[in-house]
Amino acid sequence: MLSIKNLHVNVDEKTILKGLDLDVKAGEVHAIMGPNGSGKSTLGHVLSGRDGYDIIDGDIQFQGKDLLELETEERAREGLFLAFQYPVEIPGVSNMEFLKASVDAVREHRAQAPCDAVSFMKQARAACKEVNLNQDFLKRGVNEGFSGGEKKRNEIMQMMLLEPTLAILDETDSGLDIDALQIVADGVNSLRSAQRGFIVVTHYQRLLNYIEPDFVHVLANGKIVKSGDKSLALELEAKGYAWLEEEVA
Amino acid sequence: MFDFTQAALAVERERDWLSPLRAQGKSVWQHYSLPTRKTENWKYTNLSFLQKQNYFARQISDAPLDPSLSALYQIPEFEVHRLVFVNGRYAEGLSSLSEDSALELSRFEDADDLQRKIIAGKLNTNIELKEFGFSALNTSQLSDGVFLRVKRNRKVDKPIQVVWLTTSESDNANVNSRLLMVLESGAEASLLEHYVSSSESHNVFTNAVTELFLGANAKLTHYRLHKEQESAVHIGAVFATLESAAHLNSFYLAFGSRLKRLDVHVEYEGEGAESHINGVYLPKNKQHVDIHSCIEHKVPHCRSNEVFRGIVADEARAVFNGRIHIHKDAQKTEAYLSNKNLLTSNKAEVDTKPELEIYADDVRCAHGATVAQLDPMSLHYLRTRGVSENEALVMLSFGFINELIAELKHEAISHYLRPAIAQLFSRDPALVRHLL
Amino acid sequence: MSQEHIDRLIESDYAAGFVSNIESDTLAPGLDEDVVRFISSKKNEPQWMLDWRLNAFRIWQEMEEPSWAHVHYPQINYQDISYYSAPKSIEDKPKSLDEVDPELIETYNKLGIPLHEQEMLAGVAVDAVFDSVSVATTFRSKLQDAGVIFCPISEAVHEYPDLVKKYLGSVVPQKDNYFSALNSAVFSDGSFVYIPKGVRCPMELSTYFRINESNTGQFERTLIVADEGSHVSYLEGCTAPMRDENQLHAAVVELVALDNANIKYSTVQNWYPGDAEGNGGIYNFVTKRGVAHTNARISWTQVETGSAITWKYPSCILKGDNSVGEFYSVALTNNFQQADTGTKMIHLGKNTRSTIISKGISAGKSSNAYRGLVRMNPGARSSRNYTQCDSLLIGDKCAAHTFPYIESKNPSAVVEHEATTSKVSDDQLYLCQQRGIDTEKAVSMIVNGFCKEVFKELPMEFAVEAGKLLEVSLEGSVG
Repeated sequence: MLSIKNLHVNVDEKTILKGLDLDVKAGEVHAIMGPNGSGKSTLGHVLSGRDGYDIIDGDIQFQGKDLLELETEERAREGLFLAFQYPVEIPGVSNMEFLKASVDAVREHRAQAPCDAVSFMKQARAACKEVNLNQDFLKRGVNEGFSGGEKKRNEIMQMMLLEPTLAILDETDSGLDIDALQIVADGVNSLRSAQRGFIVVTHYQRLLNYIEPDFVHVLANGKIVKSGDKSLALELEAKGYAWLEEEVA
Repeated sequence: MFDFTQAALAVERERDWLSPLRAQGKSVWQHYSLPTRKTENWKYTNLSFLQKQNYFARQISDAPLDPSLSALYQIPEFEVHRLVFVNGRYAEGLSSLSEDSALELSRFEDADDLQRKIIAGKLNTNIELKEFGFSALNTSQLSDGVFLRVKRNRKVDKPIQVVWLTTSESDNANVNSRLLMVLESGAEASLLEHYVSSSESHNVFTNAVTELFLGANAKLTHYRLHKEQESAVHIGAVFATLESAAHLNSFYLAFGSRLKRLDVHVEYEGEGAESHINGVYLPKNKQHVDIHSCIEHKVPHCRSNEVFRGIVADEARAVFNGRIHIHKDAQKTEAYLSNKNLLTSNKAEVDTKPELEIYADDVRCAHGATVAQLDPMSLHYLRTRGVSENEALVMLSFGFINELIAELKHEAISHYLRPAIAQLFSRDPALVRHLL
Repeated sequence: MSQEHIDRLIESDYAAGFVSNIESDTLAPGLDEDVVRFISSKKNEPQWMLDWRLNAFRIWQEMEEPSWAHVHYPQINYQDISYYSAPKSIEDKPKSLDEVDPELIETYNKLGIPLHEQEMLAGVAVDAVFDSVSVATTFRSKLQDAGVIFCPISEAVHEYPDLVKKYLGSVVPQKDNYFSALNSAVFSDGSFVYIPKGVRCPMELSTYFRINESNTGQFERTLIVADEGSHVSYLEGCTAPMRDENQLHAAVVELVALDNANIKYSTVQNWYPGDAEGNGGIYNFVTKRGVAHTNARISWTQVETGSAITWKYPSCILKGDNSVGEFYSVALTNNFQQADTGTKMIHLGKNTRSTIISKGISAGKSSNAYRGLVRMNPGARSSRNYTQCDSLLIGDKCAAHTFPYIESKNPSAVVEHEATTSKVSDDQLYLCQQRGIDTEKAVSMIVNGFCKEVFKELPMEFAVEAGKLLEVSLEGSVG
């Protein structure tokens, strides 16, 4: 589903990713771990097509298409979803408008009829309930005045409504308490299927107790330096990242 | 050579009870020199075109009133006491008034002796005519006007809508309008001043002055909506006076036109009064909008909060000047002002000046102003959710304004304004579908 | 705190207010073309310089004194002012510091400016302007080794005519405003600095100005040219004796930062503010402006505590792409002082950046206004400005104003302006007192904290001086 080869990325003329390779197949959950500054968040932004990330080398195929050729919104419509580490606040645009615009755009792309307002409202309310967000949030501005945990749950709610093919969770666990973490994990686990892939970017092993990965990769200094199964995450938890960085060096 | 000032002075009217007021206006107007770029309060607004156009020579003929005009100002699910003026003349056929014992309503033309006395006693008492020359001009041209009095401790059941409509009949002419509203102590009402046009382009010069007197504990929700056509010239002003614990909530909407200048002047005369003055301006094409507000905190323990937002497109220009003046005795004042602007074109311009003038120390004041484009991160966020860039731009532009629209006290007005504003950002239904 | 206590606290003494008993050579009051010619001939100026002055004088005669500033003062009679005063001993042109009038040296010592090189703060070269002429420039030889020119502008006219011709009036034209025209006609001296390409000036450069004679105006002119890739930090300090009459100071400072150059200009202005009744004091009408070329940076830092009236807007024209302008200001007014000060940031180039941090403190019956302009021209793509203006009111008889003009013609430019106003709160004072800190010290601490963002931009020894200066100016001030 996703194949990244030899990815080199510059931000402000500084090379952040230095030859990253990654293959994600449908049904798999990949965890990417790494110390701060290793380039974890860069990967999510590059996949989503954010400005300011210069691809200087490499290739990304997503479901047989050259991902880098696609605009940000085209990637989203093709089924790529990024849950932001820092979801953006947009006062004045209601969450409901935002969700409807998003779902309509994706449905249109899939040649599905747009949702009528009433049934969409029902869906949205149901999704709110699943992530334990008060329905008032639908009327408020996008993420406006939401707490950190509420913003993250809002991201998961969007993911549930958009039903992506590949979801990238960028440090979704940061700043969450145990209850919120459980809600986020439940949301992700409920979407796990043979047709869907996940990339879970995280600094801590904790999240992986809730979302069990098939593969764990360690990103350090812009490259994947070690891959393994979920036991690797436990090893990192016990030993930290320093030994790996030394090993690589 | 043609002279704008003289042309206005040359207008002759029959003697009536308003004559002394007109004379008062004339005496100030004849000494008022038309502002130039060097006049601080008109620094960014060029009035030289006035010297090329005689708006005072034409008498506007009465046009047959087409009932379909009502589509221009009717607001769904909004029951009102309505007065409609077409080109400055009262249009009884379009108006709809019902009895309300809390409200005394009269036009200047119909005023009885007592009302005349009140009107003459109140008009201009909160206007420094020398400073507001165009209000002096308005006074010098007085004929009809609206007088509203809300009785002590009474609440008017329905909002009062005053429609000022201009048609192509008013091309090259002056429409002079005046509204005086007195809320006695403890009175409560809502007033909607609604400016609309029936044709796409007529060169009318509207001079519309409104005076609002809020007695102790009075509450007024006030809207002034300017949905005038492209060629309109509007120089207007609103003067509000707040007695103790009075509460004024005003909202201004200015769609652009050739020239739109609004002076909003709020004076605090009694302690504990509060005002919320919000507004939105949306000039496009070659339109010019100039809003000057001044909040005069003369007494202690009052609050003011002012928020204006503008989106300036194409070759349009917006001018905003927001002054907060805290007098020496106005201790414990809280005053805030925010002005945010979006420029959406290389040829658009914004000139903003929030001003603080403070003579009391125990006060809390702040102002802020920004000029920018839409936040790139918000745009990106919408796009990662599959929304096209164009739709995202429309949604974000609308959202920038919508924060103020959504707060309006009357939902019917929000609902009425949303599509009209959305249309400004795009006529493509696909791009505005999620806003309607 | 009682009003009485506040009033007592606000009273302050002017530490630099002594008069030096020096014989001077002063021109009779009055201004006409002959005075301009006289000043020019005193300096043995070449014809082109005289012509330039006369041109300025003619322009000035056509102009009107500006009245838009939020300051009030009796009309100035420009014929009552003497336009030239020099300490007599200068006539013999001291060849070295040993020849300088000992009393003059003593004056500087009182001001805490050690003129002798051995007494100098390490690394500060001083050009001292006394009344209207430059009396000594220290450290010249060391600067010469680096190729840096630092000399009185009267000397530069002779020694470096090409540079002076090229840049004088290039940033502040003669006709820029009433006071710049006047200055252009009658300027007597000032500093000239040229930093060659790629040179990092080896020490801080510094000028001290002092007005000594009564009825004299001071019109110094400073021109700093930083050639490509060079760096310079320049400091100026000002004082004047206590006199009952008002004295005029109309200076012009021009900065030219060529590509990749960096100029930092710091001012500690402590002209005599007048007495507690509002008598006397300096009228400080100053035009300061810099042009920043590509990738250049100009930074103005000012601590303004003196003068009866301050009318001053150090500005940046951000002409080159990626150029940067900064303005950090503390303006303190007490008693009857009036200040109308701020900056202009004119963004012309792409990716230009400006920052304005202004801290106004009003005490006594004073009036303190920030006036600023941020303009984004159509070419200022992706440029940014951030402005923060804070006012602190001390006592209920003073005034604080904010007049920021923002003009934007570029949709990709971002301008942000914020202003707040506050007073020294009773809670803050109560807390300090409760911890055993006396009121005066507490106010000084709060004011210093309020100004911290600006002080950190000053060179170290000046930051200390500025802090002390505020303390003295506020002596006693709040409650």
